[in-house]
Amino acid sequence: MRNAQQLNHTCIQELIDRQLPSGGWPFTSDTTQSAVEPTALALLALPSESIRERDAAIRFLLHMQNANGSWPAFSGDDGGGSGLTGLALYALNRCCAQGMVTNRAVHWLMESRGWESHWLWKWKFRTSDRHVRFDPDKFGWPWMPETVSWVVPTAYSLLALKHARGISQQDLVHLRIRRGVEMLYDRICPEGGWNAGNGVVYGFPLAPHADATALALLSLLSEPPNDFITASLDWLERRAETCFALWSLAWIILALDAFGRPTALLTDRLSSVVDPAEVNDCATLAVVSLAFRRAAGDNAFRVAHET
Amino acid sequence: MTASLGVVAGASTTALLNLPKYHVTRRQPRSRVAILGAESYSHNLENILHSGFELFHLDLRGKTVLLKPNLVDYIPGNHINTHPLLVAAAVECFRRLGAKNVLVGEGPGHQRDTELVLLESGFSEELRHLKAHFVDLNRDELIMTPLLATYTGMKHLWLPRTVLEADFVVSMPKVKTHHWSGVTLSMKNIFGVVPGAKYGWPKNILHWKGIQESILDICATVPVHFVIADAIVAMEGNGPLNGHPRPLNRIVLADDPVAADATCARLMGLDPTRITHIRIGAQFLGNVSIERIDQVAEAVCAPANPFEVVPEFQHLRATGSAQRDS
Repeated sequence: MRNAQQLNHTCIQELIDRQLPSGGWPFTSDTTQSAVEPTALALLALPSESIRERDAAIRFLLHMQNANGSWPAFSGDDGGGSGLTGLALYALNRCCAQGMVTNRAVHWLMESRGWESHWLWKWKFRTSDRHVRFDPDKFGWPWMPETVSWVVPTAYSLLALKHARGISQQDLVHLRIRRGVEMLYDRICPEGGWNAGNGVVYGFPLAPHADATALALLSLLSEPPNDFITASLDWLERRAETCFALWSLAWIILALDAFGRPTALLTDRLSSVVDPAEVNDCATLAVVSLAFRRAAGDNAFRVAHET
Repeated sequence: MTASLGVVAGASTTALLNLPKYHVTRRQPRSRVAILGAESYSHNLENILHSGFELFHLDLRGKTVLLKPNLVDYIPGNHINTHPLLVAAAVECFRRLGAKNVLVGEGPGHQRDTELVLLESGFSEELRHLKAHFVDLNRDELIMTPLLATYTGMKHLWLPRTVLEADFVVSMPKVKTHHWSGVTLSMKNIFGVVPGAKYGWPKNILHWKGIQESILDICATVPVHFVIADAIVAMEGNGPLNGHPRPLNRIVLADDPVAADATCARLMGLDPTRITHIRIGAQFLGNVSIERIDQVAEAVCAPANPFEVVPEFQHLRATGSAQRDS
C-alpha cells in the first residue's frame, strides 16, 4: 500500500498542476472558474515550501474579498457575501494574513446571521411554522444572505472567529461565538452528529452527515467536553466503518484526530481507495491532502486551536 | 380577526400567483404521455424503456443528452432516489437512439458529498459499468442566467454550464410526496440543477422565495424536453426523505413535464389541478387537461387509496368527482 506521505506529495503536485493563473482553484479540473472553497482548502493543504503557489493563492483570496468584508462563492459572483467567508478568513489567518482584511471580514461575520434571528421569523417559527424543531434564539450563519442558519457555514464562521487574532471588540465577538455554538448544539441530531441544518423535521429525526458532523466538531474543538460532542464523535466513528467516499472520509479523519481518537486504519483505507490523478474535484483533493498530512502529525484544524 | 386576515392574505397570495409572470411559452397544442408497466428494478428495464421510446419518435442523433435523476441523499432502506438501474437503462436507450453524448447530472440538495450518494446508492457502479460521465451540478462552472419567469421576484440564477449547453434535458424524478411542495415530480426535480456552490445545501433561498414559485421560474428557464418518472416503487407520506415505499410498478414517459406530473399525480390519487406549480405551469409550460394529452401504452388508473400526504396537503387527495374532472 502507498504510504500517506507519498500520497500527500502526489495530491499536492496535482493541486499545483491545477492552480489557475489567477491563483485560485476551480471545483472541477475541467473548468476555469475559480471558487473560494477549493482555493481556501488548497491553501490550507499546501506545504510551506510551496511559496509561489501559496502566495498566488493568498493574493487571489485577498483580491476576491468583497467591499463589505465578505467573500463570494466564486469568481464573478455577486458581492453580497457567502457562507464561505469564514473558511476564506480561516485559511488566510493560518497563513498569517491579518490586519484590515481580518477586521473587515470579522465585521461582516458579526453582522451576518441566520434569518431565524429576525423578530418576524422568530415569531413565525414560534407560532405557525412548527414543523422544524429548533430554537430561533440560537442562530449561526447562512449560506447566503436572507436565509436561515446552516451547519457548515456556521462551523466555518466559528473556526474563523475563534482563530482571528488582533481584532477589536473581543467581548462582542465572544458573544457571537457563543450564539453560534449554541445553534450547533440546538440543531444536533438525536443520535449525535449533524445533518445540513436541523436534527428533526416533521417529527422525524434526520440522519447526520459525516462531513457536516466533522466540520461542526472541528469548530467545537476548544469547547469544554460534553455529551453532545462525545455522542457526535461516537457517531462519526460508527459512520466511518462503512465510509469509502473521499470527501467524507477525509473530514472524518481530521475531526477524529483533532479529538485524539484513533485514525490509523481510516488513513490506510483512504490510501487504498484514492488515486489523486482521478480525483476531479479540487476541494476533495485538498481535504484528502489535509487528511494525509495529519498522519505526519500536522492537523490544520487542531494546530489552529493550540496556537 | 387574525384568522380573517390570514384568509385575506392567503387569497391575495394565491391571486398574485395566478397572474401570468412568464416571458416564454413552452406549452404545445398536445402532449404525449406513456405509462409503462415495470414489475421491478432489473436489467429488463432497458427493453421496456426502448419500446416506450418508440412511441415518441425521438430524433437525438448527434445531440448531447443530460439525464437529471433525483438524488437527494442516501438513507439505507428508503426509496428516495431514482433507481440507478432505470438511469442506466436510459443511458443505453439514448445511446441506441444515436445521441452524441449522454451525461448524467445532479446537484443533491442536502448531502454535500455527492460521491458518497453515488457510491452508496449504487450509481457509481452502474455509471462505471456504462462508462457514463456524471456531472456534479453543485460544483459545475456557473453562468448567470436571466429567468424567463418572475414568480419569485428573482431576476436571474447562476446555473451550471452543463445544463445550459445540453441539447436535450431529461428529468428523471422519483415519484414522491413532499412535505413542503406536496409532490416532487419532474418539475420539482429540476430544483437539482440549482448549484449548491452558490446557493448552499439545501438551496434555502428557493424555499424563502417560495417553492412553487421557484419551480415555475426554474422550469421556465431550463426547458425539460422529456420525462422518465420512476414510479416502480414510489414514496408516500413524509417525503422526500422519510416517507414509506409505495409500489406502483409503472414508468411514466412524457414529452411535456406538466403532462407528466399531472399523470403521475393522477396515478398517486392526487388532483393535479390542486398542486400549485402544476396548475400554474399549465398556463405556459405544458398541458394538464386530459383532453390535451395523448395517453399511450397503459391507461391512467387512480389507486383505490390515494397516496398519504402530510396534513398540510390533505386537500391534494382527489375525491371521486375531482378525480374524474381533473
